[in-house]
Amino acid sequence: MIRITILLFCILISLGNRVFAQCCASGNPFISDAEQPALQSKVLTAALTYRYSHSEQYYHDDSPYHDLNFSQSANVNYTELQLAYGVTKWLTVMGDLGYFFNKTLHTEGQDPMRGYGLGDAALYLKFNLYSNAKARFTISPSIGMKFPIGVFDQEVDNVKLPISVQPSSGSYKCLGTIFISKGIAKKMALAGFVSYEYAQLIESENYYYQYGQQWIGAIYFNYKIIKNLSLDLQIRNEYRAKATRENNEIVESSGYNVTYFTPQLTYAFKYNWFLSAFGDIPIYKYYNGIQMSFGYALSLRLTKKIDFITIQARKQASKTSN
Amino acid sequence: MNRAIIFVLILTLFVFSCSKEKNEKTTGDIHIQSLTASSLKVKAWDTTLITMEATGSNLQFAWEANHGDFKGSGKTVKYAAGECCVGLNTITCRVFNDTGEASDTIMIRVTSYFGH
Repeated sequence: MIRITILLFCILISLGNRVFAQCCASGNPFISDAEQPALQSKVLTAALTYRYSHSEQYYHDDSPYHDLNFSQSANVNYTELQLAYGVTKWLTVMGDLGYFFNKTLHTEGQDPMRGYGLGDAALYLKFNLYSNAKARFTISPSIGMKFPIGVFDQEVDNVKLPISVQPSSGSYKCLGTIFISKGIAKKMALAGFVSYEYAQLIESENYYYQYGQQWIGAIYFNYKIIKNLSLDLQIRNEYRAKATRENNEIVESSGYNVTYFTPQLTYAFKYNWFLSAFGDIPIYKYYNGIQMSFGYALSLRLTKKIDFITIQARKQASKTSN
Repeated sequence: MNRAIIFVLILTLFVFSCSKEKNEKTTGDIHIQSLTASSLKVKAWDTTLITMEATGSNLQFAWEANHGDFKGSGKTVKYAAGECCVGLNTITCRVFNDTGEASDTIMIRVTSYFGH
C-alpha cells in the first residue's frame, strides 16, 4: 500500500508540473460532506458527488448591491470522485478529483462564457490521533495538498476565458484539518472541524497572484432518525482573506466571510451503499468590495464502503464451515 | 519504516517546486505594426477597444489577459474588468499563421468602481 501511495504522489506531482505555467481560478468547490473521521484499517470508501450551484446577487460588504447597470448570474455543474483507504488503524489516505461539466457566467445581452473540464486533484493523509469507542469520541487531524492538474487555459475563438470560469485554480494549495466527533446519546452525535488552506503564489510571465488564506470551521449535529436514515444539520463558516497581486498589491474586492446552513439526509442501503442529499444555504454573507455572492448549492453523493477485514473473515468462516 | 516513508513524502510535497518551459518560435512573415487601446484607463466594468494591427498572410489573433475578460474576437476586441481586477493589467495579443507567430502586450489601468 505504501508503494501505491508513493506512486499516486508521483503521478500527481508529474501532472502538476506540466500545467504550472498556466494560471488561476478558484478551483473545486468545497463539498461540505467531505469531513469525516479517519477510516478503520483495511476499509475503502469510494464516493461520487454531483453538485449544482447558482450565484446571482452582487454584494458590497454584507448587503446586496443594486447599483450596477448590468445583471449577471453564474451556474456550475460539478462532480467529484473521492477515494479513501485505511492503510493502518492510524492512517487513512484520501484523494479526490473534480470535473466541471460547466462553469458558466451569464451576462445580460451577451453570449455566456462557459468553461468545462478537469478541476483540481487533492491528496490527504488523515490520522486517527485519538479514538475511544466506548466514549464514541474521535480526533482525526489531516494534512493534504491540492494540485492544479486541470484545465486553466480554455479559449473560445482564440480568446482566453476569464479566470472565473476556468475549471482549475492554477495554484498548489496546502491544507490542514482537525476533525472531532463525540457521541452524545444513543442516536445522536456532535461533530466539528476546523480547516486551514494556504495557496501557493502563482508566478508566470504575465501573472502574479496569490489567493488569500482560507479558514473553514463547522459544527454539526447528527441524528439517526430510523435504522437506515440519518440527518445532519451543519453550520459552517468559510473565511477567505484578500488576495495579492503584482507588487504585493492587495486585491480589495477579494476575500469573504460566509456562513452556511447545510442540512443533509443520508440513507444506508444494503451492502454498504449510502446515498446522501444535501444543500448549502448561505445565512450570512460578507464580501470585501463588490463581488458576486454565492446563491445556493444542491448535492447528491453516492458512497460505497468496502471492509476488507470483514470480507476476509466471512471467507475464512465459509471455508471452515465447508 | 512506514512512518519514515510517509514523512519523506509529505516533505517532498511541501518543498516541491515547478520548472518553467521556454518555447521559442519564429515570426515568419508576420510584422506587428501596433497594439492600441481606445482608452488606457477604464473604470471597473467599463470597456475599452483594443486593436492589433499587423501584416502577414492569413493572420489569426489570440487574446489573453492576466485579469479581466474580452468580448469578441479577431483583430479588435472589447476588454473589460470588474472590481476584482482593479490595477494595472496586462493584455497580450498573439498573432499567428502557418509561417510563425508574434506577440505584443499592452497595459490597461482598471480603476475602482467607487472612484478611488
